[in-house]
Amino acid sequence: MGIEVHLFMNMMNGLVWGLIIALIALGLVLIFGLIKILNISHGEFYMLGAIFGWYLIQYTQNFWLALVLSPLLVAAIGLFIEWGILRPTEDKPIKTLIVTLGISLILQYTVYWFYGGSPQRIVEPFQYHLTLFGSGYSGYRIFVAILSMAVIALLGLFLQKTRIGLWIRAVKQDQEMAIAVGIPTKKVIMITFALGSFLAALGGILAAPIFSVDFLMGLEILPTAFMVVIIGGPGNLMGALGASILIAELEGISSVFVSPTISRVLSLVLMSIVLLKRPEGIFSRARR
Amino acid sequence: MFLVTEIIALSLFAMSFDLIYGFTGMLSLGHATFFGTGSYIFTLSILHWQSNLWVSLLLAIIGSAIIAWVIGFFAVRARGTNFIVITIIFSLVIFYLSFYYKSITGGDDGLPLKVPDLGLGFLSISIHDNPMANYYLVLAIVSLCYLFYWRLIASPMGRLFLAIKSNEERTQYIGFNTLKYRLISFVISGAFSGLSGALYSMTTHYTNNKLLHWTTSVDVVVWTIVGGAGTLIGPIMGAWIFTFFREFISFHFKQYPIVIGMVLIFFIIFVPQGILGYLLGLIRRERK
Repeated sequence: MGIEVHLFMNMMNGLVWGLIIALIALGLVLIFGLIKILNISHGEFYMLGAIFGWYLIQYTQNFWLALVLSPLLVAAIGLFIEWGILRPTEDKPIKTLIVTLGISLILQYTVYWFYGGSPQRIVEPFQYHLTLFGSGYSGYRIFVAILSMAVIALLGLFLQKTRIGLWIRAVKQDQEMAIAVGIPTKKVIMITFALGSFLAALGGILAAPIFSVDFLMGLEILPTAFMVVIIGGPGNLMGALGASILIAELEGISSVFVSPTISRVLSLVLMSIVLLKRPEGIFSRARR
Repeated sequence: MFLVTEIIALSLFAMSFDLIYGFTGMLSLGHATFFGTGSYIFTLSILHWQSNLWVSLLLAIIGSAIIAWVIGFFAVRARGTNFIVITIIFSLVIFYLSFYYKSITGGDDGLPLKVPDLGLGFLSISIHDNPMANYYLVLAIVSLCYLFYWRLIASPMGRLFLAIKSNEERTQYIGFNTLKYRLISFVISGAFSGLSGALYSMTTHYTNNKLLHWTTSVDVVVWTIVGGAGTLIGPIMGAWIFTFFREFISFHFKQYPIVIGMVLIFFIIFVPQGILGYLLGLIRRERK
């Protein structure tokens, strides 16, 4: 395989991976924009999405059913966590962050209890291979890319066109004003949290056939998702989308030439520069 | 005996974390980086250069101080949540690096260590086969460090750390360069965490990259919060309680982090001042 084919492959993989990261990061950014809380257990929702997917596929042998059900289950769990555990501390971001750290431990090791420590695989639901530039490319990955783009577009429509979307944007702008004009803020926060968990879980089950499923996969995604939040600008949805693809492409393209770990370090360097030069993220208009 | 010595070494780690969290008010979720770095520098300098015990300990302090300075340089420029994110990202990336350079770090398997004799000018004492000598050495060093911390927090600089915690903006208005003092506190904390890591390896006779891992960072957060942040003694209590707890329960119940997560959430919501803080509060109320 020539270097240009290799490069092209990695760019495609970078795009697919970037879109999956975008799904996860968008949930993180949505929640952060709303209640200024960095949800450390967000990676765990990604992991749960894949784990539930694996169980559902074991029992029903149907990937498509799992693809729909697993994110819904995780969204329900997210709803419960926000309502039951996070709400008492929600006005103090650092405290809530530590609580999500506790949740993260509980979820990880509960999964470890039932699922075990060894990674499992989910088979790609269809074995179709496209021929691109004289070599095969997995049709499933193309499907993942298209589905992710569709979901992200739907999310944008949801936020712009529906009443709940309007509420979410209102609470994001000014929570006290939102209460004053009669928006049920608590309910909006709950829905947003569930939506974020749903997106992360969807990313999890979509990524499962490409990688493998284990109880620590949430921890592996966490630094990347956080870098996206910093590079894209906290609370900036379009920025998060751009930053996801940027990071994934950077890691994908540079891994043609250097090892994956070095390319991980490269994106760390990028993040540090962004942090020093533009703390509000590279995609935000410079405004004070 | 080994366990007690181990916990004394860990106590230093807990105190160092308390300096930046309890006193300067910066929550670092990547403190394992300094602990692990100290341990590795200590081990590697003995393995490769057959260096003297004192020299290795000194190198561990200097090395982790340098790492803390580099990470701190970026981290202290960010505030609140961003600070936490940066410490997480750096520590996770350094952990990946330790996996990648397995030939140097030993990866999962770690590196065994033959601790050199302790030279005191006229006599030399074997530390490796003499747990009592090891115990007294660690106890002496950690006690000295405790005295140092005790002096530090009573000094004008210590007062300044507390001022930064309660209101950084106002501290700036009085004319202090808060960035500088936050960095100083971060570097001191990092350097002594490194020393703690070195003492830990001296006791256990080996090092592995688990010391760099995220779970180590989480451990020290849990000790500090449950024991009582901002008290120096509280985090030490936390280290004792949780290390004993882990030693005894991990045989029977491998999923013990679930319990730790629950305890953490319980304390954050109901006893945010920690055990010692709670007791001190009781005493104060009695006096009135």
